[in-house]
Amino acid sequence: MSAGNPPPLVAGSPAALSVRGLRKAFGPKVAVAGIDLDIPHGCFFGLVGPNGAGKTTTLGMVTGLLRPDAGLVLIDGIEVWRDPVTAKRRIGVLPEDLRLFERLTGAELLTYNGLLRGMPAAVVEARARELLEVLGLGDAAGTLVVDYSHGMRKKIALAAALLHAPRVLFLDEPFEAIDPVSARTIRGLLERYTAGGATVVFSSHVMELVERLCDRVGIMHLGRLIAEGPTDRVRAGRSLEDAFVELIGAGDVGAEELGWLGTWSA
Amino acid sequence: MAGHLVGLKLALLRNGLRRSSWPQQVGLALGALAGLPLAGGGFLLLALVPRAEPRAGLVLVEAVFLLLFLGWGLFPLLSFAGDASLDPSRLALLPLRPGQLVAGLSLAACVGVAPLCTLVALAGAVVGFGTLGPGVVLVVAAVLVQFALCIVGSRALLTALSRQLRSRKARDLVILLVSVTALGFNLALQVGARLAERLERADLEGLRPLARVLGWLPPGLAARALVDAGQGRLLAATVELLGAALAVALLGWWWWRSLDRVLTTAEPAARQRTRQAVGLFPRPLRRLLPADQRGAAAAKELRYLARHPRLRVAWVISGLLGLAVVVFVAVTDGLNHPWMVLASLAMAFLASQNSLNQFGFDGAAYWTNAVAGADPRGDLTGRNLATLLTGMVGTVALATALAAVTGGWLYIPVALCLGIGVLALSLGVADVVSVRFAYPLPDDTSNLWAVQGTGQGCLVGIVQMVAFAVQSLLLLPLLALVVVGLLAWPPALVVVCPVAIVYGALVWRVGLGMGAGWLADHQPELLTALSARRAA
Repeated sequence: MSAGNPPPLVAGSPAALSVRGLRKAFGPKVAVAGIDLDIPHGCFFGLVGPNGAGKTTTLGMVTGLLRPDAGLVLIDGIEVWRDPVTAKRRIGVLPEDLRLFERLTGAELLTYNGLLRGMPAAVVEARARELLEVLGLGDAAGTLVVDYSHGMRKKIALAAALLHAPRVLFLDEPFEAIDPVSARTIRGLLERYTAGGATVVFSSHVMELVERLCDRVGIMHLGRLIAEGPTDRVRAGRSLEDAFVELIGAGDVGAEELGWLGTWSA
Repeated sequence: MAGHLVGLKLALLRNGLRRSSWPQQVGLALGALAGLPLAGGGFLLLALVPRAEPRAGLVLVEAVFLLLFLGWGLFPLLSFAGDASLDPSRLALLPLRPGQLVAGLSLAACVGVAPLCTLVALAGAVVGFGTLGPGVVLVVAAVLVQFALCIVGSRALLTALSRQLRSRKARDLVILLVSVTALGFNLALQVGARLAERLERADLEGLRPLARVLGWLPPGLAARALVDAGQGRLLAATVELLGAALAVALLGWWWWRSLDRVLTTAEPAARQRTRQAVGLFPRPLRRLLPADQRGAAAAKELRYLARHPRLRVAWVISGLLGLAVVVFVAVTDGLNHPWMVLASLAMAFLASQNSLNQFGFDGAAYWTNAVAGADPRGDLTGRNLATLLTGMVGTVALATALAAVTGGWLYIPVALCLGIGVLALSLGVADVVSVRFAYPLPDDTSNLWAVQGTGQGCLVGIVQMVAFAVQSLLLLPLLALVVVGLLAWPPALVVVCPVAIVYGALVWRVGLGMGAGWLADHQPELLTALSARRAA
């Protein structure tokens, strides 16, 4: 929990991800206002929060893509902002806005990613082919990414994040715009992946999904982690959605508000 | 309704200004300032020439009107003159009839820098042809009809083509075609200017038949109405003006029909043409490029060069320029020397100029490299390798063509070595500039109407000028050696060859070290710079 004093960090910390005092402001707007977090290995961690809560900013800072104003991030005991190269070798990232190299084909994009990470060409090729097949992109391997649908882009970016078998996987809204069949495939894949000791951190708006998949959840609101822990403890007997709405203090629409919605326009 | 759309346009302009940082605002202001001389020039041309040269008047006005009409038709097809308020599909969900939309969008289209400049230029015709008496009403009317022709014609064409333009392949093609057309047009203008010089004034009569043909096009009718009204032939002017107005009405009807179609019919799903996956490395280079990070970066650059519409434009233009050099050398008597083969070095220099913003086409997609913890040195080396390859292909091709013209075959190896030196040296400077002054280049996947990188031009121009100056300064010793060699004893150039390569490689190593060293600690900052102004 962010409340109280978090345990001090020691080098070689056993957690897959440890965060202390992480802050980021854009001008006067504080996006992330000091976060402390520990995620153990093999954990399926769900980060939830309303729009603008700071989830994407947090994931950006944790993965070494956005420089924090203050704070410490350790992945597998390695300080991300002191030794980014070593830390980045252990992570895979699926960002939210999915900006990809549009003029490469799906297969080329995976090869590019693999070689960039220093993997042997033969390994890259074999893994890429397998990933494309499993994710249902086999037929689109030779299509330019610019011509992919949103769901296909999500899948090819996920394949790129998985290619080097990272120990910690960060996924920003991985199931958005994905068809149910692919979503099931990806779920199975991620579950098998965490069963093998890897860690998945993902953000989502779909509470049912987070509730079903994650052993731990963190709820972000206004740049702070207002609740964090094992899913059952955060839920405390309610559905996660109810717990979430209650924690961030958002109410249901009252009977007298928007009363005009029942009166039809011409 | 119309008021709302005009308000929307104004709000978009205002917010576009508010969203940008101060260098961009300065750039935008300078962009507007660049438009003003153009408008002022048009104004003076139309205001002064008809009075000084009455016979040239009609041809001139016809030409200006036609150019304006074509410009309004062509430029919005490229995204840079567009604006989001005019994209009909964005308004598809509002309960508006096409008629209301045509009226509102027409008015909204009259707001902005381009319409203002057009009006200023056209106002020159009122000064140039306006006379006392009833004719002046017709003169003003002719100018307004011409303005309406530009606006309505431009929007009608854009709307009619909007579905085709939305397809990625068509958009790629449009960018290529319009750029090459613009270049061709520019060349034609140069040639035309030369011809005009030779023709002298008296021969303007020779252009009469051309003027007669152009006079039947809608802008030509407006031009004729203007001239006739100015010279007191009011009946003829009225008839011609009615003709031009009819053309506006017809274009408006076409626009209205297209809008109706665009707003009410579903867009067909894009057909995906699957091609055989062939791997990242282009086939002929599979053996040549290392199968590591450097190779991957180089291969990606080469793939982009072949597939990205803006890069295609760049190399088509390079090719045309090369051709122009060959033709120029061939037809100019004083230049037919064997050593003119060394002019092919321009190709090497040009290639390096295109790499002053090596990360620009990555844009926000650079996160892929940043998150992979890619070694900046390998990344830059790969990009340089791709530029070196393409630059040398261009240099060798031009050198060969020039040798065929001048017979300077012996200079080809010299051009080759010097080319490597020039490219390496320039890339060393480009490596530093690319990481320190990166900016995202317009993203081709976005809406064709999106205004992109507004005002970046100015700052970019300054940085590129400084980089150019540094490169030239570093090239001076090499240039001095070559000149001395040519003047004293050309075979001595054999000695200059290894010197050029070693010198270039040294500068490159230093530049690469500086660029990669900075980047190693600043990948997130580069990513931020490249994601700064995402295309709408």
